[in-house]
Amino acid sequence: MSQLLPVLALAVFVIVFGSVLIWFSNLIAERAKPDAVKGETYECGLPADYSGPTKIPIKFYLTAILFILFDIEIIFMYPWALTYGDFIAEGYGLYIFAAMFFFLSVFIFGLFWELKSKALEWE
Amino acid sequence: MGSDIFEISVNFVKLIAIFLLMVQIVPLLVWVERRGSAYIQNRFGPNRVGPLGLTQLLADAVKFLTKEAFVPSRGYPFIYYIAPIVAMIPAALALAAIPLSMPIKIEPFQWLGETWGPYTFLFQGYNFGIGIVFVLGVSSLAAYALLLAGYGSNNKYSLYGALRASAQTISYELAMGLSIVGVILLFNSFDFLEIIKGQEAPLHFMFLGRKIELSAWLPNWGIFYQPLGAVLLFAAMFAEANRLPFDLPEAEGELVAGYHTEYSGFKFNMFFIGEYGHMFVASALMVTFYFGGYSLYPFLTSENASQVVQPVAQLLGFNSTNAYNVMGALLLHLVFMAKVVLFLWIFIWVRWTLPRFRYDQLMDLGWRTMLPWALFNTCLTAVVILIMRHPWGS
Amino acid sequence: MLWEAIGFYSLALFLIFFACQTLMATNPIHSALYLVLTMIGLAGVFFNLGAHFIAGVQMIVYAGAVMVLFVMVLMLFDLKAEVRAFSRGLISGGLKVTAAAFLLGITIGSIRHSQLAAVDQPAEALPIRDFTRELGVLLYTKYLFAFEALGVLLLVVAVGVVAVSRMKGGTHAKH
Repeated sequence: MSQLLPVLALAVFVIVFGSVLIWFSNLIAERAKPDAVKGETYECGLPADYSGPTKIPIKFYLTAILFILFDIEIIFMYPWALTYGDFIAEGYGLYIFAAMFFFLSVFIFGLFWELKSKALEWE
Repeated sequence: MGSDIFEISVNFVKLIAIFLLMVQIVPLLVWVERRGSAYIQNRFGPNRVGPLGLTQLLADAVKFLTKEAFVPSRGYPFIYYIAPIVAMIPAALALAAIPLSMPIKIEPFQWLGETWGPYTFLFQGYNFGIGIVFVLGVSSLAAYALLLAGYGSNNKYSLYGALRASAQTISYELAMGLSIVGVILLFNSFDFLEIIKGQEAPLHFMFLGRKIELSAWLPNWGIFYQPLGAVLLFAAMFAEANRLPFDLPEAEGELVAGYHTEYSGFKFNMFFIGEYGHMFVASALMVTFYFGGYSLYPFLTSENASQVVQPVAQLLGFNSTNAYNVMGALLLHLVFMAKVVLFLWIFIWVRWTLPRFRYDQLMDLGWRTMLPWALFNTCLTAVVILIMRHPWGS
Repeated sequence: MLWEAIGFYSLALFLIFFACQTLMATNPIHSALYLVLTMIGLAGVFFNLGAHFIAGVQMIVYAGAVMVLFVMVLMLFDLKAEVRAFSRGLISGGLKVTAAAFLLGITIGSIRHSQLAAVDQPAEALPIRDFTRELGVLLYTKYLFAFEALGVLLLVVAVGVVAVSRMKGGTHAKH
């Protein structure tokens, strides 16, 4: 807990700092009279249109899912990078290299397959 | 956080000081940005309020504070208010994990009739030994501020801006995470202090197990081993901080002002603090990974800083080892800040030099150019390290 | 020791609170946002246990990637009709109760069968070790096969995602 405490303290401080600033500026700022037109969202001056669902290209979801997959692969390379020197120093250089070579080649194959399949192409 | 009341309070004050350092650099950077852009574009820039327009910042602050409080009537007030606060948290937490100078060793001393110490104060908010992973983990939360802002204001343009911004942030996070792998391979550590310690030496490399020193004068900076990684990381950082040429989320011509269309006053300013905080963290990471951190090898390192400041300290009337250590750390902090300011200037310089990308170009650059190159950099580093340390086994 | 316990229990209480809110919030976006807080709290628990790297992974992968996807998807779909269909009605209510009872049964069963309570507390605090390095060494020696299999599995998922996104039909079908 003692290690987590400074992080929590800082996060709480930032939240308090931000809240106090917003509260203070709301306090001294001019009050807006509630007004139907004023409260509308700004959509370039046209009357805002709230009807109908928002349609979003599926590319965004695809990007997010592929991001998760590649992110996991990259995370698995972190302990490898950390212990690579230790493995080499103890004489297992070729072993750790081969172990990672397989993983990396799967990664590279996946990445280039994605690029080739034009899944990540935006028009 | 510490063993006695003195250590705890120093550590706590330190945390807040680092956060305030991040906050106070925003008005200064805004000023530099305006004057710098005017200089680059051959204009005058704001020069009316005070000398060189410096007090313009105060005028801005007053204006921000007195702006009309506005909440879109269709929005979700709680989420709308919480988004700018969330925008400040990732940068603040990440910055506190980066060492801004060497740890200060304090020997036992007498104060208020009691003996205090010895202490070792880190010149950073906290140190976990997994510094890099912590910074990556915390800054991956940055996408939420954008999404909350877009959703909270319930505006189509805000939502599209938030969507673009988060897609962009996550795409470039891959290249960012992968280009750091080279640095970890090189220094075999997640700890910023150890990475900096590894750079406080003359430039050398191992060749078939023998140590070859290239030059006694060049420092052992990461940039000499990882030039490609440095370029990729810096470019990815631009996208992470939503700066031009990657500021698609706020492309005025298409999306009004993106996710902060409905924000004004101090709430808007907090998004600014978040953005500049990300720039600060990015510059600090670049300096720590590739440019020796707070050390300036042949002249100033964490070993000799206390001796270097000794004459100056004596001139000022300080004669204790503790004072030397503190002043040495402050000197190294100045070195660090000088390097960081250089990178911050590059951020501003690029903003006023390059035009904005198109969205497809942006995604292409992230996925089809930077990610493969970062992968290439990692493989190359691994192979070279394997060959260079050939007779494996000590 | 007392402070450690207080810290742990307050963290655990927060976690349970966020988890309950995740289940009980009627707005799916609020529910997802509470889940984000739960994930961050879970990272805090891992951190507290000394598994710093795992905590970092929890933040990067779950809080920073998976939940971003969830929140993004929920924010951009208009889910009003689906929410109404899911949060009202006898059948979905019955399903919820059944699922909760099932989960409770599994939890109680696993606690009853586990040997956790029998583990003796070490008399002294364990020496601080570099768990991340140990994790790396174990991952690339003892669990090497699982590690490589995971690489292949991720590749399969990536291919599957692209295939699904190419399916004919839906709003983006090419005519």
